[in-house]
Amino acid sequence: MAALRLYSVGKAAHTVLNHAARPVAIAASRTFWKQVSPPDPSYEWRDMTDKAANTIFILEICKGLGITLSMLFKEPATLNYPFEKGPLSPRFRGEHCLRRYPSGEERCIACKLCEAICPAQAITIEAEPRADGSRRTTRYDIDMTKCIFCGFCQEACPVDAIVEGPNFEYSTETHEELLYNKEKLLDNGDRWEPEIAANLQADYLYR
Amino acid sequence: MSVYLEKLRHFRLAIKQHGGIIGAYLNFYRTDELKWGDLIGEDKFGNKYFQNRHYFIGRSRWVQYSDAVGMDYDGSQIPPEWHRWLHYIGDEPPTTAPPVKRSWMVDHKPNLTGTPEQYVPYSTVKPKITAWEPPKA
Repeated sequence: MAALRLYSVGKAAHTVLNHAARPVAIAASRTFWKQVSPPDPSYEWRDMTDKAANTIFILEICKGLGITLSMLFKEPATLNYPFEKGPLSPRFRGEHCLRRYPSGEERCIACKLCEAICPAQAITIEAEPRADGSRRTTRYDIDMTKCIFCGFCQEACPVDAIVEGPNFEYSTETHEELLYNKEKLLDNGDRWEPEIAANLQADYLYR
Repeated sequence: MSVYLEKLRHFRLAIKQHGGIIGAYLNFYRTDELKWGDLIGEDKFGNKYFQNRHYFIGRSRWVQYSDAVGMDYDGSQIPPEWHRWLHYIGDEPPTTAPPVKRSWMVDHKPNLTGTPEQYVPYSTVKPKITAWEPPKA
């Protein structure tokens, strides 16, 4: 106890001495100070819960969920294929077709211009005179897996026989189903002719 | 606020068009979407075509596939005359501008790959090289 008292006296004496020596001291004594580091956090319950809520960004999460909710009521920007389909041009180059004249006579005269111009060499043609003397193809094969859908064949054709129709939904499970022969191409033409004719009609000013 | 009221009105119209809550639910299950619009026409396969210009282009025309196909609907089930209208190539549906019918035209077929009726390629000419047949002595 005596030691403690001695210590207290010593401390008080130090203060007194310090104050007394101030007028003649060289180093300025610090009479005030400012805390520049962040203040210590409060450990009240309320402050601690606030801090925790801020930490997990509850407000921001709510904002984000609000945006998600608002998107439910917005019109989506995507197409719901196959119920909705995107716009196509009348010049769209899809699956090939061999067309016929309105009489039912096939148009192709086996001039082989399409075969010659095909950059992928996907077309194979063999021709023979028919029984009535007209020149027709006996073989008209297109390897659809070679075709690059450039449209040169339909531009080369002098009688509008080979066209690239508007159909693009002919994907197959095997490679061989894409090796089209003449029968398949004519069949395509017979099926798609209503649309092919309308598309050609829509574009006739530019042809 | 009126925006939300309009959304509610459209929702009610869509429910009404699909024949009540159950019909709307079944349609939503099938198409993942509830839309309302005018019935433009129906093709011979039973697919119904709708239009509503309230939606933007690309969504403003749509097809409701025939109930006969169930969940096996496919994009290739649309016949060419409606294909043209549905793809916005032309604005005239075949109900107002019917295509010319020729005797040699055949009915539309969907993509038959993976079925027994699928296309199998074959040669349309006689083979030029044949196996040697030994002369009969």
